[in-house]
Amino acid sequence: MAEKRRAMIKIKPKKYKVGDIVKVDFIAIHPMDTGMQKDKKTGKIKPAHYINSITFSFDGKPFTTMKIWESVSRNPYFSVNYKVTGKGKITVDYTDNQSEKNSKSKKVKPKG
Amino acid sequence: MERRKFIQSMFATSAVVAMAVPSRLFAEEAKKKATPKGPNDMSFEEALKTITNGKGAKDSDKIKLTVPEIAENGAVVPVKVNVDHPMEEKNYVKAIHVLNKGNGNARCADIMLTPANAKGYFATRVKLSKTQEVVALVELSDGTFIQTAKSVKVTIGGCG
Amino acid sequence: MRKLLLPLALMVTLATAGEQFAMSDADRAMYKEMLENNPADIFVEEGGELFEKLGDEKALAKFLGVTEKELPKYIAGFPRYIKKLGNVVGLDQVLQAMQVEQGKKKTKLKSTEMFSMLAYVKSLANDEQIAIDIDADKYIKASYELGKKTFETPRGGRGLSCLSCHSADIVGQILRTQPLPDLGKAGSGATWPAYRMTKSSLRTLQRRFQGCMNNALMKVIPIGSKEMVGLEVYISTLAQKEKQPIAIPGLKR
Repeated sequence: MAEKRRAMIKIKPKKYKVGDIVKVDFIAIHPMDTGMQKDKKTGKIKPAHYINSITFSFDGKPFTTMKIWESVSRNPYFSVNYKVTGKGKITVDYTDNQSEKNSKSKKVKPKG
Repeated sequence: MERRKFIQSMFATSAVVAMAVPSRLFAEEAKKKATPKGPNDMSFEEALKTITNGKGAKDSDKIKLTVPEIAENGAVVPVKVNVDHPMEEKNYVKAIHVLNKGNGNARCADIMLTPANAKGYFATRVKLSKTQEVVALVELSDGTFIQTAKSVKVTIGGCG
Repeated sequence: MRKLLLPLALMVTLATAGEQFAMSDADRAMYKEMLENNPADIFVEEGGELFEKLGDEKALAKFLGVTEKELPKYIAGFPRYIKKLGNVVGLDQVLQAMQVEQGKKKTKLKSTEMFSMLAYVKSLANDEQIAIDIDADKYIKASYELGKKTFETPRGGRGLSCLSCHSADIVGQILRTQPLPDLGKAGSGATWPAYRMTKSSLRTLQRRFQGCMNNALMKVIPIGSKEMVGLEVYISTLAQKEKQPIAIPGLKR
C-alpha cells in the first residue's frame, strides 16, 4: 500500500553561487524494519520494511544512486556533496523493499 | 543511616562490583543466545569478495572514516566518509560502500557517486547490534578498491 | 535496605571505572552535528500543520490574551497559570482547550500528534530563555512546590526518588553505562520535546519522566496531571537557573 511518506532535503550552506560545492542532506521518515524484530504490542514479527534504493537527480539527471540495506537507522539520514551548476531542482526518489515509491524535491537557487 | 548518605556510600564500595558489571552491559553478552538469520545476511568477508569481484581492497589512509569511539546507543550511530581523491571526469571516486563486521548483514549502504558530487563524501547513520568495526570500502573509477576500518564500542545502557 | 542494596550494587560503577563509558569530545561533536539533521524536524513540521488547523499563532495568541509579538516570550514561560483554565497547565493542555473551544475532537495528551504539536509550538520560543516566574501567583508557586516534592519523594518497589539519581552530589556518577547528568546544566527543560534515538521518535519531557519512572519501578503518573505539570515546572526552572536557551527539537539518547 503506497503511503505518502515524509522527507526533508536541506542544502548547506543556505546561500551559494554557481560553482560552489554544497552539502545535500536528506532525511526520510521510514521504519527501516529489519524483519527480525517483534511488534511489542502484537508479539508478531514485523516484516522487513526498509528503503532499499535512492536516486538523487538534478533536473531529471541522476548524479548519485544508492543501494540501502536494513542496517541503516530508522528515519534515515543520507548526505552527499553536489557542485552547483545553475538554477534547477534536486529530486530524491526513493523506493523500499515493499515497492513503495516516494519522492521529495528541493529548488536549487544560486545567487550569482 | 540517612538514605542519601547510604546511597553515596554504595557508590564508594561498589569497586568490586564494577569489575563484573561492564561486560554484562555490553551488547555481546546479550547476543550469546542464537540470533535468527535474516534474508540478507552476509558476512563481511563474503560482502568484500562480492563487491570487489574477488580482488579485495588495500588499506588506505586516503579514506577518512569518522565514527564515534563510543556510541551512546546502537540504534543511531553516525558514520562519515571522506575520500582524499579527485572527482574529475576520468578520475573520481566511483563508489563508497559502508559495511560492518558484526551485524548479520555486513552491508549498510552502497553509494554510487559521479563527478557531479565534486567530493568523495558520504554520511549516514547505521544500526550496530554490538561493539564492532565499521568499514569504508571505496571503489575508484580505475577499478581499484581501497578500504579502512574503525571500531565502535556499542553500549546498551541507560535508563528508560 | 537489603532490597535497595542488591539492585544498586548491580547497576552502579565508580566514576573512574566509568571513564570507559564516557564519550570523548570528538564523539560529543559528532552528536552535536547530528542536531543539524534531526528527524524530529519533520515531526515538528507535521505539528505545525496540525497547529495551522487550530488557527496558528493568531488563534493561540488570542486564546492566551497576548499579542502575536509577545507570543514567543510568553510561550517560554510555560507551564504557567492560565486563569481561563483555572490551573497551571502545559502548552499541550492549552492546545487541547483550544480544540474544545473550537468544537473539535480533543487530541490525547499522550499521542504522537500532540507531541508534534507541542514541539512545534514550543519551538516558536527557540533561543528564548525559559521564563517561569514561580512567584507570579499562588498557583505556579504551588505547582513548583508539588513538582519539587514529587521529585524528592521516594516511591515504588526500590524506594527510589528522582533525587536518588539526579541529585547534585550524584551528578557524573555512572548508572547503566551513562553518566548521570546535571538536569539544569543539561538544559533538560529547554531541550525537550526531543528525538530519542533509542526510540527513534519524538518524545516530550513528561513522557520521558514516565519512562524513567517505569525503569525505577515507580508507578507511572499520567501526563497532564498536577504532579507531572509540577515536575515539568521544577525541571524547567533548573534549566532556567543555568540560563539554557530553548532549542526545540532536541536530540537525546
